[in-house]
Amino acid sequence: MSWRVIARREYRDAVHSSLVWGVVALVAAMVAVTSLVPLVVPQFDGDVLSGLGAATEFAAMLVPVVALVAAYLAIAGERESGSIRVLLGLEPRRGTVVLGKFVGRAAVVAVGLTVGFALAAVPTAIAYGGLPVVAFAGIVALTCALGVAFVGLAVGISAAAATRGRAMTLGIGAYLALALLWDLVPQGAHLVAEGAAPAGSVPGWFVLLQGLSPSGAYSALVQAAVHATEPSYPGIAGAVAGSPPTYLHWTVFVAVLALWTALPLLAGYVTFSRSDLG
Amino acid sequence: MTAIDVQNLTKRYGDDVYAVDDVSFQVREGEVFGFLGPNGAGKSTTIDVLMDYVRPTAGSASVLGYDAQASAPEVHDRVGILPDGYSLYDRLTGREHVEFANDLKGADEDPDALLDRVGILDAADRTAGGYSKGMTQRLALAMALVGDPEVLVLDEPSSGLDPEGIRDLRTIARDHAADGGTVFFSSHVLSQVEAVCDRVGILDDGRLVTVDTIDGLRDAVGTGATVTVTVDAPPRDLAVDDVPGLVDVTVTDDAVVGTCVEPTAKLVFIDRVRDAGCTVLDVGIDDPSLEELFAAYTHRDVGATRREVEA
Repeated sequence: MSWRVIARREYRDAVHSSLVWGVVALVAAMVAVTSLVPLVVPQFDGDVLSGLGAATEFAAMLVPVVALVAAYLAIAGERESGSIRVLLGLEPRRGTVVLGKFVGRAAVVAVGLTVGFALAAVPTAIAYGGLPVVAFAGIVALTCALGVAFVGLAVGISAAAATRGRAMTLGIGAYLALALLWDLVPQGAHLVAEGAAPAGSVPGWFVLLQGLSPSGAYSALVQAAVHATEPSYPGIAGAVAGSPPTYLHWTVFVAVLALWTALPLLAGYVTFSRSDLG
Repeated sequence: MTAIDVQNLTKRYGDDVYAVDDVSFQVREGEVFGFLGPNGAGKSTTIDVLMDYVRPTAGSASVLGYDAQASAPEVHDRVGILPDGYSLYDRLTGREHVEFANDLKGADEDPDALLDRVGILDAADRTAGGYSKGMTQRLALAMALVGDPEVLVLDEPSSGLDPEGIRDLRTIARDHAADGGTVFFSSHVLSQVEAVCDRVGILDDGRLVTVDTIDGLRDAVGTGATVTVTVDAPPRDLAVDDVPGLVDVTVTDDAVVGTCVEPTAKLVFIDRVRDAGCTVLDVGIDDPSLEELFAAYTHRDVGATRREVEA
């Protein structure tokens, strides 16, 4: 199982390079601080679930950065340094290399996020006097899934890019498009379809469009998870007027996240397997 | 059996840049084959095709009967590669590198024994990021030896090595061949190829110019050895016209110089000079250097002459 050997090396290298500890520190600080925001902002009622909700909104923007940085050089970096010639000399199956890189880096990001959240849980629990364990565990798992999706995207980019520079350009582009600018898509569509920006309730397709990006799918799934543990919080279709369409189901957004993990990885593999490593 | 079989291999970049142009040759099992040529001649590209790092534009390459592209995993199971233009993992130690190679190749090599064989056992626990170029090269060689591959492909293996390292490298290459293995030794330094190789292929500008033994190359180029006989006085009646294989004899005040295109002509030449009534003070024999042979094949030094002829 060569992919395991490669994944293990990736993971150990990340631990050695203190990359994983950087992720832990960043995530712990981010979650701890943002989850306390509702306590200090007077308009919110200082509820621990709204605190965690605030943390996930920030995570939807931060986790993609963490994952992209952790993985965009996975293959492109080795191509630029030349160590890929040693690696492919030992394991010529490029699919195995891509898979091993993905699994290793995904493990780094998932472990970093989990430990970071666990550390942040302490101040959060103290400040609110308790922690909804099930909802918290769900949020951690979903955040890991978001991280893994962006690792898939980043490794795919890294496999397709011949150089560091191109990998970085593609990575920044992917981040801007998927994590920051995606919200403009449903907004623009709403403007075109309804002649105005959304106010109050929104149509079902608007929620679906929002959730087609990895971060959007993540936010929808977090809503679903929180709603499942505490029905007073709105679910995925909470903002939809009338009875929500059946496609606003959590499985749809799980599928979206899975596709964002697998498709870029597959496209990157296909490009990599055809390319000359001059 | 054929260890490496390259057939009409062509690798073109863009529309008209030929890195390798219609190259064909075979390397037999158990031989040390020198792959010689100036930098940029296409040696690494040929090796890159053998290792499936790049895909040929036309033609094919196979190792031990396995196509280098279609059956890359089978090829790699049987080949140890010391690539050119590589780097190692800075944060892994020497031993971890060998263990990594062990794990990927499914081999069970004793890392310490292997590191000892390439002479860096004392640095086994240091990370490769702190290695010198020579130590890095030795470690990469150790990784190539993992799993006792049938074919050893060495791309510019002596780069970065000190004379001692080069000697170790030759020993390893010869031992490998003595055990029945095949060594494909690529270099732009001719003296290193000469010292270890049974046969040599010379590549120039993407084309294979010749494949021959070192002796065969000498014969083919036909530049004889220059024999300089230092004498106390010019010979009075030197008779050398009938000596087979002796040409271009010139006489000066203190020396007689002749070119021997046959090895046997040398002693006869010296005898004739002594018979001509002079005392021989010294004999100097100047074999054509391989660098000259190399130049003759790759036209590096005679380019100017050739241009004159063409004009």
